[in-house]
Amino acid sequence: MASSQMSYAPTLGKLLKSLNTQPLEASIEALIYLLKRRQVKGDDVANATAHMLLQVVAKSKWQNVDQLLAKVSNTGHRLAQAAPTEQVIGNVVRRVMGLIRDEASEDRNADEMGDSVSDLSQLPTTPTISTRPGPTPLRAATLPMSKSMFNLLCVSETAQSPVTGASTPMSQGASANMHALRSEVIDGIEEIMDEISQADDQIAGFADIQIHPGDYVLAYLPSPTVERFLLKAAAKRRFTVFIASAERQKPGEVPHAALRKKLNGLGVNAISLASNGLMAYMPRVNKVVISAKAVYANGGISTESGCSTAARAAQEYSKPVIVLSGVYKFCPVDPSDDGTEFEQGDSSTYVDYADGEAVDALEVENIVGEYLPPQYVDVYLTNLGPQTRDHLATIMADHYKLEDMGLSLHLP
Amino acid sequence: MAVENTGAPAGAPAPQEKGKQQAKSTVANTPATTGGDAAGEQKLTPAQLKAKAKAEKAARRAKAKEVKEVPPAAAVADAKGGKSGKGGKQEGSQSAGSQQQGKSVPGRRPSVNGRRPSVAIIKEDPRSSIPECFSHVAMAKRIQTSQAHKDVHPAVLAVGQQMATFALKDSIARLEATLLAFKKVIESYETPKGNSLSRHFVPHVLNPQIEYLTECRPMSFSMGNAIRFLKSQVNKFDIDTPEDEAKESLLEFIDIFINERITLAEVVISKNAAELIDEDGVVLTYGRHRLVEKTILRAKANGKSFAVSVIDDPYDQGGKELAKTLQQAGIRVFYSPNLGGVRAHLERASNVLLGTEAIFANGSLHAPAGTADVAMAASAANVKVVALCETINFDRERVSVDSLTYNEIDPERCSAESFRLMFDNTHSKYIAGVITEFESGTDFAPAQAILTLLRKREDPTIA
Repeated sequence: MASSQMSYAPTLGKLLKSLNTQPLEASIEALIYLLKRRQVKGDDVANATAHMLLQVVAKSKWQNVDQLLAKVSNTGHRLAQAAPTEQVIGNVVRRVMGLIRDEASEDRNADEMGDSVSDLSQLPTTPTISTRPGPTPLRAATLPMSKSMFNLLCVSETAQSPVTGASTPMSQGASANMHALRSEVIDGIEEIMDEISQADDQIAGFADIQIHPGDYVLAYLPSPTVERFLLKAAAKRRFTVFIASAERQKPGEVPHAALRKKLNGLGVNAISLASNGLMAYMPRVNKVVISAKAVYANGGISTESGCSTAARAAQEYSKPVIVLSGVYKFCPVDPSDDGTEFEQGDSSTYVDYADGEAVDALEVENIVGEYLPPQYVDVYLTNLGPQTRDHLATIMADHYKLEDMGLSLHLP
Repeated sequence: MAVENTGAPAGAPAPQEKGKQQAKSTVANTPATTGGDAAGEQKLTPAQLKAKAKAEKAARRAKAKEVKEVPPAAAVADAKGGKSGKGGKQEGSQSAGSQQQGKSVPGRRPSVNGRRPSVAIIKEDPRSSIPECFSHVAMAKRIQTSQAHKDVHPAVLAVGQQMATFALKDSIARLEATLLAFKKVIESYETPKGNSLSRHFVPHVLNPQIEYLTECRPMSFSMGNAIRFLKSQVNKFDIDTPEDEAKESLLEFIDIFINERITLAEVVISKNAAELIDEDGVVLTYGRHRLVEKTILRAKANGKSFAVSVIDDPYDQGGKELAKTLQQAGIRVFYSPNLGGVRAHLERASNVLLGTEAIFANGSLHAPAGTADVAMAASAANVKVVALCETINFDRERVSVDSLTYNEIDPERCSAESFRLMFDNTHSKYIAGVITEFESGTDFAPAQAILTLLRKREDPTIA
């Protein structure tokens, strides 16, 4: 049943809707296929990953924190394998694992105080907190009794075992704890999802600081983040936007028509550049705005192909390059560790299959994603405000647990 | 005048509409306007009028590019719509619109009764859609042959049309066609009584041709150089030189010129550049340039084995043709359809060969848009960049430090909807060497030494 639903024009929207009705494994598989076909990409990936991990936490069977961590990282591993260039998957997995560790240690601290009564009193409320359907309500109904009794017995024992991260052995069968943990982790993931969905708006909030009246702003392949940023700035400022893209438009097709219309509506001049090289326009440009798919530990970013052309041209003329990126895209690995430097894409948009000569002969390489070295980036504009390269490590340390920093989802 | 419009198919229907063209340049929103007229006839306060005019102006700008291409049916339908709706509101609101447009006011008024201005408007329109910040940049335009100066020679007319439509595109092709057309002009020239060729030919015959060609498309630097040589050649004639002798000498001069500066130059450059291609190396090039193509084919013919990376401009796709040609010659070709792949391709490239349109006095290249990005990426990747250029393309007077000083707008893409500059400016620091026909062997003339090179060319027998 579930598979027949998915087999028909699968989209992320449909998948997210069907999450509650179909088995966990089917959902994961469906998302993997969407990722493999690159039907989910860009900013949707983080959201989709968070949704999926929430399902993993809510639906899968686990008895202790270690099992949960293993399940989360295993699912993350599978998703990352499906889309090796999407570093964001790893980020969300790290965040969720960090969250689990936090909640687990908090729980135990609470236990240390011998506060089992409050623990008990919390329990009945948990089903209402987690509005997600699934096995949770059932468990909540059947287990509280045994859990609370067990808690009474094992208080002293947990107090003895300090929290040491992934390898921490949990007291066996602490299912009441586990249940509370489950709902807290679910809450936490929902917070991460909120953060992801609000990031664009928060970034756009800094638009009028960065963009000044009379500016010429070059937006290279504007992503939804960049579009929102520009529109927010347009509400306050009069400036000119150059929209550049490496894609070839079919005759009669107007590139970025919707964005141009909105900008024009706000009184901002938007010019689509039908050009691949951007050096010609750079003397006119005041700043370049691009969005990152991921920001690496060294400050380099993973982004759309062609951004390095734009950034290099900007550097030649000493124009600032502003990278828009939610903090959730900050990725605590080095670019050489994970993934590939270039991502290749469909070449049929450029070389027609009807063009037999070309199809037979040419080795067409259409690069769709690339790595932009840190020296080309001037400002990282995040939902926490503008950041410099030197400060990235601090932000990453704030958001990821040390234990998860080294997590690599790309090793076979 | 009414039958003149056979030239441009797109413009053809418009003049028949007696200059409705202007009114109809708001083609897209005409239905909306007429619809709104009926409904909102009474409530058009001056402020509303102004807002409406503004909206129309915006729409007109957006649509201006399409104006040329309005299919006949649409134009006719429009004209009808315009006539029926003309009586009251629409006329009023539209003239308000054109008042704000300044320039088009004089064009519009007479257009109601006369057909002539419509032609002028067709010529004006494409430029009016150019975004303000690029309004200083030149653009080729199609001039209907009947609009040209009466002294323009038919051969030059044809060349002008071909240049305006980019059938003749690169600087050398244009130069050659121009010189051949000038030969025809010289052949058919007869000195009027009481005049001498050396005094009469240039101001009264040659200059109108040049003006016309410049109007069609700004002259390439090579054309400027050649014309200077040609004029100085004419000036050298003694006032008493017999006409036949002078003509003969001019024709011969042009033949030699084409032979030396174009035909032989190509052979020499490709020969020298072919030696730069490493055995088992990978040559990277951008777009399609005649000299680069010749060079690669020659290296192949010399028995070298190597591969070629072609980076293409997705808006031009000349590189694809080059890639296919090379492939047919048995060369392994990697093809990147856009500049996004340039860094990946540079990783395996051993050197970069670039064709250029011209070289400025400060050594920077004037080359198809995107060349600068490729050169910059290559020098960042420590790959040697070599530019190929005939000396006729060297400009000794002009200095360019950015791409907005001397450039051209693609007439097909000249509005905010889609805008394109045709050239860019590559700083000489990114160029490891320039190969010209005066270079012997594999010697390099670094771009900075170009002025020296030019001084070497400052040979009294030539200039």
